[in-house]
Amino acid sequence: MSGPLGLGPGGVVAPPASSLRAYLPIVVASVVLALVPLSLGGSRYFLSLGVHLLVVASYAVAFNLVFGSTSQLFLCQGALAGAAAYCSVILGNRYGLPLWLTIPAGVGLAALLGGGLSWVAVSRRLEVIYLGIVTLAFSLVFTNLLLGGRELTGGETGLVVDGGAGTWLRSPAAAYYLFLALLVGHLVVYRAIERSRLGWGFRALRDDEVAAALAGVDVARAKVTAGVVGAAMLGSVGATFAAHEGFVSPTTFAFGEVDVRVLVVLALGGVGTLLGPVVGAVVVTVVDELLRPLGQLRLTVYGVVLVVIFLGFRQGMVRSVRSLWMRAGTRAGPRTD
Amino acid sequence: MLTVEGLRVAYGDIEVVHGLDLEVAAGEAVALIGSNGAGKTAALRAVAGLEPGCSGRVRLAGEEITGLPAHALARRGLVYVPAERRLFGAMTVRENLVLGAHPERPDRDRLARVVELFPRLAERRSQPAGTLSGGEQQMVAVGRALMRRPRLLLLDEPSTGLAPVLVEQVYAAFARLREAEALTVLVAEQQVPAALQLADRAYVLEDGRIQLTGTADELTDDPRVRRAYLGLT
Repeated sequence: MSGPLGLGPGGVVAPPASSLRAYLPIVVASVVLALVPLSLGGSRYFLSLGVHLLVVASYAVAFNLVFGSTSQLFLCQGALAGAAAYCSVILGNRYGLPLWLTIPAGVGLAALLGGGLSWVAVSRRLEVIYLGIVTLAFSLVFTNLLLGGRELTGGETGLVVDGGAGTWLRSPAAAYYLFLALLVGHLVVYRAIERSRLGWGFRALRDDEVAAALAGVDVARAKVTAGVVGAAMLGSVGATFAAHEGFVSPTTFAFGEVDVRVLVVLALGGVGTLLGPVVGAVVVTVVDELLRPLGQLRLTVYGVVLVVIFLGFRQGMVRSVRSLWMRAGTRAGPRTD
Repeated sequence: MLTVEGLRVAYGDIEVVHGLDLEVAAGEAVALIGSNGAGKTAALRAVAGLEPGCSGRVRLAGEEITGLPAHALARRGLVYVPAERRLFGAMTVRENLVLGAHPERPDRDRLARVVELFPRLAERRSQPAGTLSGGEQQMVAVGRALMRRPRLLLLDEPSTGLAPVLVEQVYAAFARLREAEALTVLVAEQQVPAALQLADRAYVLEDGRIQLTGTADELTDDPRVRRAYLGLT
C-alpha cells in the first residue's frame, strides 16, 4: 500500500488517485500564501520580499519538473528565464509591442532553448553530470552574450523597460498576487503532468531508462517534453518579473542569483515533491531575512544553517515531515475505527 | 511472426553476432540455445531495438521493424524480457504491471488475468518489486510483458539467478502460458534441457553463428547437442 499520503516506497512518490486529494495541497498552500500580505499590513518591503519568494518558488517548480521528474540537471535556469525576459523587453522597447505579445514570445524562446538542450542531452546520451556541464556552459555563454551585446542588451547596466510605469504591474500588492497566480499555475501543471501518462513515463524512466523503454515509454520524447515545459515555466516567470521590475540586468538572472538559490530551495524542500519548492522557498527566504542583521557574518551563519538542515532533512523537508507524521500515526497504536 | 535475416551485432570493433538468420512462426515457441558468450543476448537485444549499431533485416508479421527503437517495438507487441529483469524496483508489483501496458491504461480484466496466471503476484501486489525473490521478480517481469498482450515475447535467459527447482517452476509457468495465451515465444537459454522441453524448434548458436537447427526432439536426440549441452553421451 503506498501510504495514505501517497508516499511510495524508496521515495518514489505516487500521486494520489482521487483528483480532489491531488490538488488539495495546492489549494491549501495558495490560500495560506494569499493571506500573508494581509497579515503583514501591506508593507512594501515585505511585499517585495514576498514577490521574490514566489519567484524563486516558481523557478523551483520548473526545476523540479526537469530535474526531479526526469533527472535532467539544468544548470541554466537563470539563463532560460533571462532569455525570455530580455526577449520580451527588447521586443517591447524596440518595436513597441504590448506585453501580451512579448511575454509569450519570450516564453516561446525559452521553451525552444530548453527543448534544444534536452534534445542534445538525449541524442548524445549525456548523463546527469554531463548535461549539468553543458547547461552550465550555456549559462556562461548567455551571460557573456548579455555583456558583449551592448547594443541590444545594454551590457552590464541592463535595460529599462519603456512602458508600464505607474501601472498595476508595478504595485507590490498586485504583483504579489500575479506571481502567486503564476506559482499556482505551475503547481497545477506539475501535478497534472505527474498524474498523466507522461507522468507515469517520468516515474518509469527515473527508475530505469532501459526498463522504461522496454515498457513502451518513449524516453527521449518524455525528457524533451519536460525540458520544453520546464523552460517555458522559467521563461514565463522571468519575463513577467522583468515587466514588474521595469528593469533587466545580467545580475537579475545570474547563475549565483537564480540557479544556486533554486538548487538550495529544492534540495531543502524535497526533490520530486509537489510542495517542496514552496516549503523550501519559504524557509530560505525566512532564514535569509532573520540573518540579515548579522551583516558580513550572515553568509557564514547561512552556510552553517544550511549544512545542519541538509544533514537533518536529507530527503527534503516535505518528506521528512511526512514520515514523522506517519510515524506519529503508527505510534498512536492500532486504530479502532 | 518474426523473420531475422543477416543480423550482425558489434560492440565497438568486435562483432559478436555474424549474420544470423532466424524465423519464428505465429504460435510457435523457439529456443536459441548456446553457451555463455555465444551471442544470444546480443541477438535478442538487437531484435528488441536495444542495439542501434546492428545491421541486417528484422520483420515482425511482415512489417519491416529494422532500426526501430525499443519503445516503438514494445508498442507494436514485440516485448523483450531481459535476463536481469529490469523491474522498476522502487515501484510496487501492481505499478510494474500497469506500466507494462504504457501508454495505454490497462484494463482491469487484463490485470486480473495476469495475476491469475501468477497467483503469487496477487499476494505481493503492494510490495516494492525490488524486495521480491528472484523467482517472483521473473514472474513480475513476464507479467509486465503480458500486460500488453504481446504478439511476440522475447525471453532472455529466464533461468538467470534461479535455483534449479525454480527454473523448473518458471518453465512450467511458461508452458501453461503458451496453452492459455497462445503465445509466440523466442527464448534464449543456456539451461538447454528446460528450453528444449518448452520449445517446438531450436537454433544452436556458437560464436555468433547458427551451428545447428531442428525441432526440439531432433536436437534432444542429436549426439552433438547431448554431449555439449545436455551432459549426456
